[in-house]
Amino acid sequence: MTTRLEPADADECARALAGASAERRSMRIAGALSKAYLGELRATDVELRTVRIAGVVDHVPADLTITLAGGTPFAEMAAALARAGQFLPLDPPHADRATIGGVIAANSNGFWRSRYGGVRDLLIGTRLALADGTLARAGGRVVKNVAGYDLDKLVVGSLGTLGVVVEATFKVLPIPAASAGLSATFARAGEAFAAADALVRGASRQEAIVIERRSGAAWRLHVGARGDRPTVARAKSDAARAVADLRGSAEPADDVASRLVALRELPAAAIDGALVRAALPLAAQTAFAESAADLDAFTTLVADAASGIVRVHLRGDDDAVATGAVALLMAARAVGGSGRVERRAESLRERIGAWDPAEPRGHFLMKRLKDAFDPAGVLEPGRSAVG
Amino acid sequence: MDVLGRGKVVATREDMLTYEYDGSADTASPDAVVLPETTADVAAVARFCHEHGVPIVPRGAGTGLSGGAIPVEGGVVMSFARMARILEIDVPNLRAVVQPGVVNLHLSTAVAPHGLYFVPDPSSQKACTLGGNVAENSGGPHTLAYGVTTNHVTGLEIVLSDGTIARLGGKAVEDEGYDLVGTFVGSEGTLGMVTEITVKLTPLAEDRRTVLAAFTTMDQASETVSAIIASGVVPAAIEMMDNLATQAVEESVHAGYPLDAGGILLVEVEGVRDGLEDARERIEAICRANGASSLRLAATALEREKLWAGRKGAFAAMGRLAPDYYVQDGVIPRTRLPEILRRVNEAAASRGLRIANVFHAGDGNLHPLIVFDLRKEPDALRRAQEAGLEILAACVEAGGSITGEHGVGMEKNCFMPLQFRPDDLAAMRRVKDAFDPAGLANPGKVFPTPSRCREFSLGAVR
Repeated sequence: MTTRLEPADADECARALAGASAERRSMRIAGALSKAYLGELRATDVELRTVRIAGVVDHVPADLTITLAGGTPFAEMAAALARAGQFLPLDPPHADRATIGGVIAANSNGFWRSRYGGVRDLLIGTRLALADGTLARAGGRVVKNVAGYDLDKLVVGSLGTLGVVVEATFKVLPIPAASAGLSATFARAGEAFAAADALVRGASRQEAIVIERRSGAAWRLHVGARGDRPTVARAKSDAARAVADLRGSAEPADDVASRLVALRELPAAAIDGALVRAALPLAAQTAFAESAADLDAFTTLVADAASGIVRVHLRGDDDAVATGAVALLMAARAVGGSGRVERRAESLRERIGAWDPAEPRGHFLMKRLKDAFDPAGVLEPGRSAVG
Repeated sequence: MDVLGRGKVVATREDMLTYEYDGSADTASPDAVVLPETTADVAAVARFCHEHGVPIVPRGAGTGLSGGAIPVEGGVVMSFARMARILEIDVPNLRAVVQPGVVNLHLSTAVAPHGLYFVPDPSSQKACTLGGNVAENSGGPHTLAYGVTTNHVTGLEIVLSDGTIARLGGKAVEDEGYDLVGTFVGSEGTLGMVTEITVKLTPLAEDRRTVLAAFTTMDQASETVSAIIASGVVPAAIEMMDNLATQAVEESVHAGYPLDAGGILLVEVEGVRDGLEDARERIEAICRANGASSLRLAATALEREKLWAGRKGAFAAMGRLAPDYYVQDGVIPRTRLPEILRRVNEAAASRGLRIANVFHAGDGNLHPLIVFDLRKEPDALRRAQEAGLEILAACVEAGGSITGEHGVGMEKNCFMPLQFRPDDLAAMRRVKDAFDPAGLANPGKVFPTPSRCREFSLGAVR
């Protein structure tokens, strides 16, 4: 039997963690459970949900910062910012359901990372409930701060294994005045990625540079730009030129923004088969994408080509999916990147792990950090790549 | 000495003198100085020191302003002056791999032919090293739009204080497991030594506009900063200087700053040509609406360079005002600028000290420079440090930080309790113990130490 806890505030959350540590009761840490598929999920004694630790704590529009309770829905934050003409320049999957704490713990980035930075770059302060029941602040509410260690970075992507994010402060931006986009098709992966690369190196700072490939279809490039009117007009013409230079066919695309949202939500849609996600050096993407598209179980590829994050959805017979997933993890590692099976069907859980069997770089230090923050080993045991 | 061989060790009193100083007011003598040439050298020294319980203090160019490179508890100072090679410029992946002793500006110069640069540009960039930038998580004027060092480092090779070598991250934008690169950057040498750094390279902007705006009062200049930030224009830099700083800079650099202004702003926008005129017009309109008495656009690259030479030479120019200075590095939410600047000036004036302000206004990162002549006023440093503490307390009270880019070091470690409660510091201590259980990596920095911090009574300023 799993006990469900929904602490009302940070203090109650911290006490719950202290209790679990003292009694050696293992704990799942969850917000809205939108990414409950992520990692190695073992049954736990307790499921702690942060949903009641919610709300905007502080928002001073003129400072371009916002402080939120960890369980605040991302969408609620976005709405609060929008009322002030601002936005958090982050477009994570599950943005409709995810909580702030979950976005941080899962290092949940979308396609805007190259333009504005990722979770780690936008997060400027956290308050953490730790396994011993203490509450620790790191960072602050100012955009520049080097006092003490950057525990904010440590918690991003830690999947609840080091503590619970009960409060977070982000830098935000005014909503840009104008937007534009463009989609194009290419005969070959090399051309699509070369066009993307030209834009990554170009003078215009595009908001999203995304490559899509579906089984049996052409390679497609989607580019989105936002900013003031002249900048956006230039970004669009730069994108059109990059497409033409690489013999792509531009499509009229007033709805690029909604296409990008659909592609960003691939992790939500990929409920069957396996979804492999690789973080690659930029120039390694083309070869990786080509070999992914050749796999028997290949169905969909979505790449944030400006950041080197490539997702591949494999479907079909379990053998083909498992073989393909393992091949992709090895391919990612071979070029100095890393890969994970971000999501997989229940039937595949025993056959393929969530993490690359090779230990991540610096694993022994990660282990030491885990032991230092959670000596009883009760927080999300076994869930992350740290083990 | 046998660990490395004679040529890589400095052990005479005379030769070690330069290693007693950095850019801060603190000094201490090392027991020995080593000049490793390889990661293996670094590891060998670390193993030796670990075996004998000797602290290691890593040192780049010694330009740090918080005493990070001072061997406050003795031990071995490890200079990275001989590990100064750019190992790889990887244009396709927009990365460079460098040794820690590479000078910040040398990297940007080396990659400029590819249309690329390394974003963080501390004022000391002609001298400071990338290893030091990693240790301090250095910033600079142009980090407003693009972030500080930690936002531009994706991989590290580090050596722990026991000699263990570890590779963290790589050329990809992230790695699996915990973000150890992000955890290590800004740790001021207290988690170990960095022996190799993989940094992001960024395409150079197509063009830029640099505007110098003069105001009668600092309040007007401060209000302008908030208004620009709120307008949606994201400048690459917004720098502010008060009248005293302007005078000192003008005397030494002749940048063409107006001497009669109460406060000046240096605002730069960059990007594609198409949007720049619009952005400049909007910025100039905001300046005018906030009472700018004059506006000057840098018409040529040379003129722009001059305006920036003035800003970047500001600390050095303080010599025109007095032989000694003490600089602080507090951060505040941008909207609190007018109020906190007044408190900054009061903190100095009430102690009979002169103060010049030259700082990264867009980030709310203050750099009050307290100037004095120790020959004439032997206790001025003590008074300046008192004023500094009062200023930092005001910054924290306003929701800010005791350091935006200079680091905590041994200068502000006793002030950490202003900003962090014991539980916050205990969480950081867990990270320290995971990397450096023996406590030999740059001891006496970042964390308050009972021996040195006893004399500081924070109660008085809280």
